[in-house]
Parts: sequence; C-alpha cells; structure tokens
Amino acid sequence: MENITLTSSPTTPYFPEVSFDVDKGFCEISGESYMEETYKFYLPLINWIKDYAKHIKKPLDLNIKLIYLNTSSTKCVLDILEILKDFEDEGGKVKVNWYFDKSDPDMVEEVEDFEAESGMKIELIEFE
Amino acid sequence: MMDTNIVSTMTNKTILSYNGPFYIELISVFGTNIRNFNDAYSNARKKLFKIFIELSQNVSNYSENFHMVNNVQRIGVGELSLKEFDNAYSFTTKNQVKKTDAEILTERCELVNASDQMKLRELKREQRLNSPGEKFGARIGLIQAVMLSKNKLEFKVDKINEDFSYFSLTVKIDKF
Repeated sequence: MENITLTSSPTTPYFPEVSFDVDKGFCEISGESYMEETYKFYLPLINWIKDYAKHIKKPLDLNIKLIYLNTSSTKCVLDILEILKDFEDEGGKVKVNWYFDKSDPDMVEEVEDFEAESGMKIELIEFE
Repeated sequence: MMDTNIVSTMTNKTILSYNGPFYIELISVFGTNIRNFNDAYSNARKKLFKIFIELSQNVSNYSENFHMVNNVQRIGVGELSLKEFDNAYSFTTKNQVKKTDAEILTERCELVNASDQMKLRELKREQRLNSPGEKFGARIGLIQAVMLSKNKLEFKVDKINEDFSYFSLTVKIDKF
C-alpha cells in the first residue's frame, strides 16, 4: 500500500489537503471540500481505508480538520466513517478526531449527525 | 455569454449578481468574496457562504441549460442574485429544469417547508443514508439550506414551454 499526499493550493481552495500514511496508521483531511465530481476525488481515499482495514489491520487514527464541506462531501465522509465502523466491529482499533472552530456551532451538529448515522464514535476537538 | 456584477455598496443593496455557466472556479471566487467582503455579521456570513455553495452547485449540476467542457464535463447555466437588507441577506438562484423535475422540486420544497428543525434533521439523516451516493451526492442541499437559515424556502416555477420551466429558489439568511 502506498501513502496518499495531496497538498492544497490557493487557486483550488475547494480541494482539501490529504495525508494518509500507512506506516504511521494516520489519516488527515483538512481545509475545505466542495469540488465538482466529489465521489471521484474521495474514491481513492475510500479504497485506501478499505485496503488498510483488510490487509494492514493495525490501529488507525483519522483526523478531520475540514472547516467547510458541502453536502456531497458529507456523503463521502459518511462512507469513510461506515468503513471504519465495520473495521472496528471486526476488532480493528480506530480513533476519529474532528477538529472544529468554536464559532461554528453548525459543525458540531453535523458531527453529531455523522456519529448517529455511522455509529462511529467521534471526538470533537476545538481548533487552537 | 456572461454577465457579472460584483458591488458592495449599500445604495442598491445588491452584493452580487451573475448570469452564465456556474464553473467551480467562479463559485469559489464568489464564495470567498461573500465570506470576506466585510467583518460584520460573521455568523450570518458563514451560513450564507455554505448556502451559497450548496445552491450554486445545484445549478451547476442540474440545470437543463448547460455547457460541455472538453465534451465530458457538464456545467449548468443559470442566474444568481445576492442582496443585502437591514436585517438579512437574500440569495436567489434560477435555472432551467424539466417540467417533470419542477414538479418533484416543488414537492421537495413543500416537504422541507412543512418540517420543523427536528423533522428536518431526521429527513437529512434518512436521505443521506439512503442516497446511492456517487454522482447523486447526498441529496440534502435544500434541507441543509433551511436548517442553516431557519427560514422557509421561497420558490417559483415559470413555464418556458411544454417541456421546460425556470425554477427560482430564494433563501433568506437573518443577520442576527
């Protein structure tokens, strides 16, 4: 399995920055997410997590630091959380941290919905 | 053909108006402008940005009048208008839809408008879980707009011919 690293650019702020590291068992998605053809962007990330859960099976931490994601992106993030929940149910060790800006209460509600829909426990952490 | 007008004056209270293809690059620039055009009403502008992106992408994805880019990517054509009032912002999109889709959209708007916040949250969870995903997205844009603004959708269907109509949608975002 290979790592995934995608850096952000000021000219395409609708793509998030991504860092998926197989050796560290660490994934991070940050910035904003409202690109066109959302599923095409997220499919490699979804497949990476599926492969990790199937073949690597070590603990995995996911940090989400998205300050905005459109509703299409929320569907893809939900897909990721559902895969992680399945991994956890099969004995995998998973930790999900969601960083949020305390001046954006709507995001807290969004995370509560993700928890309810996926069954995955999500730790809410305020941005410093 | 594009018609763009970005104004931040309070004389006519129009912040932004646009008629043309809804490219993501334009949506992003407009969105950034909306978020940053002044320091006042920061909570309202955060909500406005989210609603702006969501409804603009609906035009981009679903307008029946569209441009093809490199023969593969379909970019919807439509109109948007953002106005500022003393106590609120008002954001409107207008695009061409099939007559049959106008009926479906009208039903969806009526359902959303008839639901309180708790019911909307239930609908949102249910729709997102049951959406097939991929190119269909989450199918919760209208619900999200009402949950964020806490105001009802104003919508209007204008018949173009036997097959197509214009669908206009307005969301009001209170400043306070």
